[in-house]
Amino acid sequence: MTQEVKFLTHEVGSLAKPPWLVKTSAGKPLDESDVEHARSWGEKVGVEDYGQLVELLQQEERDPDEIARWASKYCVRLQESAGVEVIWDGEQQRSEMYAWAIAHSNGFEPRGTVRSFDNKYYSKSAATGPVSLREPYHDGEFSFLKSVARHELKIPITGAYTLAVWSYDEHHLPKEGRLGAGLSRKDEIEARRELTLDIARNIIRPNLESLIGLGATWIQIDEPGASTEEDELDIFVESFNVSVEGLDCFFSTHLCFSDYDLFFPAIEGMSGCRQYCVGFANYDTRELGTSGAERPGYEVISKWRDLPYDPILGLGVLDIHTDFVEPPELVRDRILYAVEVFGDPARIHVCPDCGLRTRSWDVAYEKLRNMVEGTRLAEEALNRAHAGARG
Amino acid sequence: MQAFIPGLYPRSETLVQATRDFDRGRTTSEAVDEQVERDLSELVTVQQQAGLDLLADGMLRWQDVFRPLVEGSEGLETGALTRFLDTNTFYRAPSATTAEPRLRAPLGERYVAPLPGPRLVTLPSPYGLAQGTGLPPKALAEGVLKPQLDALDAELVVLEEPFLARDENADLNSVEEALRTLEGGPKLALWLTFGNAQPLFEQGLSDLPVHAIGIDFYATPVTDVPEGFDKPLLAGVLDARSSVLEEPREIAAFVQRLHDRGIEEIALVPNGDLQYVSEQVAREKLARLGKARTATVDAAA
Repeated sequence: MTQEVKFLTHEVGSLAKPPWLVKTSAGKPLDESDVEHARSWGEKVGVEDYGQLVELLQQEERDPDEIARWASKYCVRLQESAGVEVIWDGEQQRSEMYAWAIAHSNGFEPRGTVRSFDNKYYSKSAATGPVSLREPYHDGEFSFLKSVARHELKIPITGAYTLAVWSYDEHHLPKEGRLGAGLSRKDEIEARRELTLDIARNIIRPNLESLIGLGATWIQIDEPGASTEEDELDIFVESFNVSVEGLDCFFSTHLCFSDYDLFFPAIEGMSGCRQYCVGFANYDTRELGTSGAERPGYEVISKWRDLPYDPILGLGVLDIHTDFVEPPELVRDRILYAVEVFGDPARIHVCPDCGLRTRSWDVAYEKLRNMVEGTRLAEEALNRAHAGARG
Repeated sequence: MQAFIPGLYPRSETLVQATRDFDRGRTTSEAVDEQVERDLSELVTVQQQAGLDLLADGMLRWQDVFRPLVEGSEGLETGALTRFLDTNTFYRAPSATTAEPRLRAPLGERYVAPLPGPRLVTLPSPYGLAQGTGLPPKALAEGVLKPQLDALDAELVVLEEPFLARDENADLNSVEEALRTLEGGPKLALWLTFGNAQPLFEQGLSDLPVHAIGIDFYATPVTDVPEGFDKPLLAGVLDARSSVLEEPREIAAFVQRLHDRGIEEIALVPNGDLQYVSEQVAREKLARLGKARTATVDAAA
């Protein structure tokens, strides 16, 4: 008998921080609109004791860490309320996916902010000495979220290659002698390998071990920088393997906004990765339909289908760079196309392209709700088709 | 010997915060404009203090090197967010909706700021602007860049070209054809950023119809520049992707190697947009560029 098709929906990473957290962290006073934000969202997404936060926000002195934990709880409920099945807190207690990791590690120094795109910037540091972990930096948030979440948790942690490639390297590269192409590409790659593997061994792996000790069952290693250098993909693969080898957990990775063809064949060797969560909607059309012509953003997914170790594909169906709210029917068609390519629905999960940090909560919530509704539509379509075939 | 800084210069932390606040509805466009003016004023001062020969406006309002021209043209659209080369910065790749895009009106002072002295202006090269549009570079040169050039008053216009040196199948004939359509206006420099120009020299890079050519000397061996290269050379001697601060004496020694190859006219520049380092780092690099220029002049004297 054919089993009912059921897709798992999950988040990917960050959500915007609420104004009452941003202002509290910056030491700025709140106004009535901030309090109203906490009140209305608390009610909307079912934060059971939001009145306590509303009271806190009306006091002059507030503990930023306590307010951040409230923001975590709001984001958990926001996603649960939207119907997302596997969740995290949108990284409310972290400064940012790169800065948070660097701030809790030794061997880095800040070098200011650099553009990510448009008006979005990130803090960039330089490796200036041997790198090591100062303290496991996700334990506190994991323990807290475990205590409040009603849905399953998936912990994102920034991967070794991304931390390396998003940093300047003033430690492994020579300070002089590069002008006139005095340093070969081979030398540059070797320097990157050393830094990346040092991060994998000395920063990422101890974090993973600590989280597993606390009961983590699914850890997503974020590698948005993985394809930055075409000729360094083997370093990304090696660093993933070094990070997870021998550890007992469901490990996945997140890739986004890249020429995904570049990952092949390099990731054929990344068999410790059970799921690839990848952004595709950014490259797709908004037309409905399940043919290849209507789904150009998803053309590349057959390459994941053909990987020798049969990983699951976390199918990005929400473009996180736009306020356009994908209708459920568009989400449905993206999933149906993916199932057609993969043949096996069990190898498909459904998620946004990336973290929704750059969208307002209003937009993020509507997008997530439609993602869930679209997923249910896809399930219905497939189950109807199967039932028809059986009948 | 000259020195100047084409391309996108990083915004200050204050301006970054202002644009962030604006995106989140926490400040006004007027407040952002005021901060842009303060950043520009500071950038001009820093260039003057460093003794740079041409002033640049740093393209502080440009979201990427193509955006204002793409948004200002009939027949061009901004496409998917795309990684810029091997940096961690992304841009909206231009796409075309017609075979003959047209600039509606030349960009005004909002995007090409007036400056208190001889200035350079940076625009994308026709080859770079054509990337991904499916159109020949000449179509972008004629319809978009030429009208902009005709409206410019500048000592030098630097055409920023990030893709050509990385394109194994680069066709210099199409580049030459496009550049010919841009002749007759301000002096032009073709600035090959972040890439090894050696294969292009073999194809006749030196003969392209531009006044000057810019080379990334962190990727291009000095020995690959033809001896007796007879155009002004924009020597990319600041590494815009590294936080390491260059030593003026090392740059001076490098310039001597260029002179030894019979290259007479040299301008010291970065090897790409300085926006790939923070404003604090860029400011220090810029100061060192000025010192390197002086150090070289002193050595020569």
